[in-house]
Amino acid sequence: MLDRFPYGKAPFVLLLIAILSSLTFALTHRSGRPAELVLAVFSAQHYGAYAAVLPKFEQQHHVKVNLQRIDNQSLEARLQSAIVANTDVPDLTEISEGTLGFFTRGPERDIGFADLSERVRSEGLDHRVVESRFAPWTSRGKVYALPHDVHPVMLAYRRDLVEQLGIDVGKLETWDDFVAMGQQITRDLDGDGAIDRFALELPRNGQWGLQTLLRQRGVDLFDAQGEAAFNCPIGVDTVVWYLKQTRSPQRIAYDPANGQSNGQAFVQALRDGMFLFLLAPDWRTYQLQADAPMMSGKMAIMPLPAWERGGRRTSTWGMTGLTLSKTSKNPELAWELAKFLYYTPAALGQRFLSSNIIPPLKEAWALPEFQTPNAFWSGQKLGAEYARLAPDVPPIFASPVYKSGMSKLDQAVVRSALYYQEHGELGLREKVAEELQRAADYLKVWSDRYAVLQDGVASNEPEP
Amino acid sequence: MQGVVELESPAEAAPEKLRRPAARPRRFHKGKAPYVFLLPYVLLTSVFFVYPFLRAVALAFYQTNGPRSQVFVGFENFVFLFHDSRFHSALGNTVTYTLCSIFLQLPLALGLAMLLNSGTSKLELRLKGFFRLILFSPNLVGPIFVGVMFSVLLTPRYGLLNRTLQALVGWGLEQSWVDDPKLVMPALVLVSLWLYVGFNMVYFLAALQSVDKELEQAARIDGANAWQVFWNVTLPSIRHVVIFVVILSTVGSFNLFELPLALLSSSNGFGPDDSGVTLITYLNEVAYRSGDLGLGSAVGWVVAISIMVFSFVQFRVARVAENE
Repeated sequence: MLDRFPYGKAPFVLLLIAILSSLTFALTHRSGRPAELVLAVFSAQHYGAYAAVLPKFEQQHHVKVNLQRIDNQSLEARLQSAIVANTDVPDLTEISEGTLGFFTRGPERDIGFADLSERVRSEGLDHRVVESRFAPWTSRGKVYALPHDVHPVMLAYRRDLVEQLGIDVGKLETWDDFVAMGQQITRDLDGDGAIDRFALELPRNGQWGLQTLLRQRGVDLFDAQGEAAFNCPIGVDTVVWYLKQTRSPQRIAYDPANGQSNGQAFVQALRDGMFLFLLAPDWRTYQLQADAPMMSGKMAIMPLPAWERGGRRTSTWGMTGLTLSKTSKNPELAWELAKFLYYTPAALGQRFLSSNIIPPLKEAWALPEFQTPNAFWSGQKLGAEYARLAPDVPPIFASPVYKSGMSKLDQAVVRSALYYQEHGELGLREKVAEELQRAADYLKVWSDRYAVLQDGVASNEPEP
Repeated sequence: MQGVVELESPAEAAPEKLRRPAARPRRFHKGKAPYVFLLPYVLLTSVFFVYPFLRAVALAFYQTNGPRSQVFVGFENFVFLFHDSRFHSALGNTVTYTLCSIFLQLPLALGLAMLLNSGTSKLELRLKGFFRLILFSPNLVGPIFVGVMFSVLLTPRYGLLNRTLQALVGWGLEQSWVDDPKLVMPALVLVSLWLYVGFNMVYFLAALQSVDKELEQAARIDGANAWQVFWNVTLPSIRHVVIFVVILSTVGSFNLFELPLALLSSSNGFGPDDSGVTLITYLNEVAYRSGDLGLGSAVGWVVAISIMVFSFVQFRVARVAENE
């Protein structure tokens, strides 16, 4: 038979493998009951938390939910492609920080998400949820996603080393206090010329570190009108401060992993005591528990030092929103699932235990799970600590060029840093102001392009 | 079809032949089969090449939000590109990288190929195979893996390269390669050397093995030194392969995408101060992350024209050199 096959042995074997594997797949693949709802998420933490509570929802509503986890960047690109190509999209999809503007940049008819404004009002969610958390999910006055979290930021620290050094964290009320302490403990311990202990972990080129500190001062990339907001005196002050802490000879900050907030180099530096304090939103505390279990009992958290006495002691870093597809075949069921996952206290207690993430629903903060001491964090009640700061979290506003804004802000930092290394502090403020303005102008050009598209398409559309 | 003609009686066939040229039915029947065989290719090419090509021409004159919404903007996309500072960085970085590929990577690949081509003993031949595999093997893993691997190797304090430098020369422990705009391009070139030098070496090695040894021996007998033999005999003998590799390398360099994306992942593949952004990462950003396929098409055309210009110049230079 093998010899009679006209194209030779190798194609025959390949054909045989193809037939056998197809048969195996066909016989073993069981599709089961088709899912009534599809929920797509990008976070492993979220996936695990939802997988634990979904059976309860399925039982209550006699439905099947297909929970899918997709890489964040792929999810963003594929979802938008599916929306504009009118193909099937998940009934519910979680999207990440800075992406709503990407999905809503075009004319309104191209937005694939349902307008949730009326549902939010009728359920009273606009009062039950931390108000500032709707801002990042609002575009042109309409709410397109439900906030999953608040992500208040605290300072996590190596409690064992901080206590050894006799640092009283209660006295670190302002960033000035912190820098004074940091300059005392930042040291070359073994005399090899390289500093072995820094006070704080911050990325050299700005990135999440600068953005978190700017937000603490009430300045983000864009304001409520969608205009660049960082090119202001507070923005200049913060960048100058940042450069001094990360680049000057008296610097107190260290970047262990080229701006990455996790990974092997980061964990190793934490273990080695290369830095004592780090910016820690609630989600990062769980990441630390998972990535650095050897640090259990050696870590603790405290509120961020304020920029001025009595000022805000927190910021925000990261966010997730849940969108409902405009073309969902089961919109009411999808809405029920959204409420179940996001705003049902019982589900939120379980979710906190498997993610350390504070929900934006204020009434959930009284749940017993949020008052449980956490052994990794030296017995601190993590939930209660973060919940106390949650109402102070500053608002963030969406923009179609939000991600470009992030990279342009970093570019302004890098260019200013090069100037600082060459010229020192002389003229630094002016240089920073110039670079921030340049970045803002760049973003304006791009925003105007989107406006042309929106206006152009709107003027081409026939009157209803 | 020949048989059909033969079945006709001469009496009936004669007036027919007078009215129409005799070969016409034969040509029609003969011509049909090739067209049928060509049809799948023509269809596939039309759908996947000709249509996208024409669509890309048209799209470059529109501003779009994905495929659904578009506004005609004329040459505005090209005007925008030539005023966009990030595009300038992308073009500059791509040209720099291409020049480094041609003037660093290819000579190194040729040098390695000549080394591997030089031995004759049994042991040398065995070692030759071993080194050929070692030098070519980075290609087997691909640029994404190499980018991720080098991003770990180049980590300050904990990266292998930094630790090695510190141990050898007492410098480099805290050196931040991919966070320093001045070092991003050298880092990219260094990594791509490791990745591609073996690939190009294989082409050169194959070409060198076909060079006539008697010619080289004759030159040596005539008193030519090693450099003169290389310049006057070896290089002219492999010139067609050299031109091919240079063009291939130019096209590959203009299409650089995965390596910076993986190596500079903390800055979305752009690098600090756009020091690592290439034309294709820029295209990816504007077409897919920003959703403007029109502007993406315009970038695509600039890339295509740049490659054509570079290749044309290379052909001309090669032809002039050949004539001389």
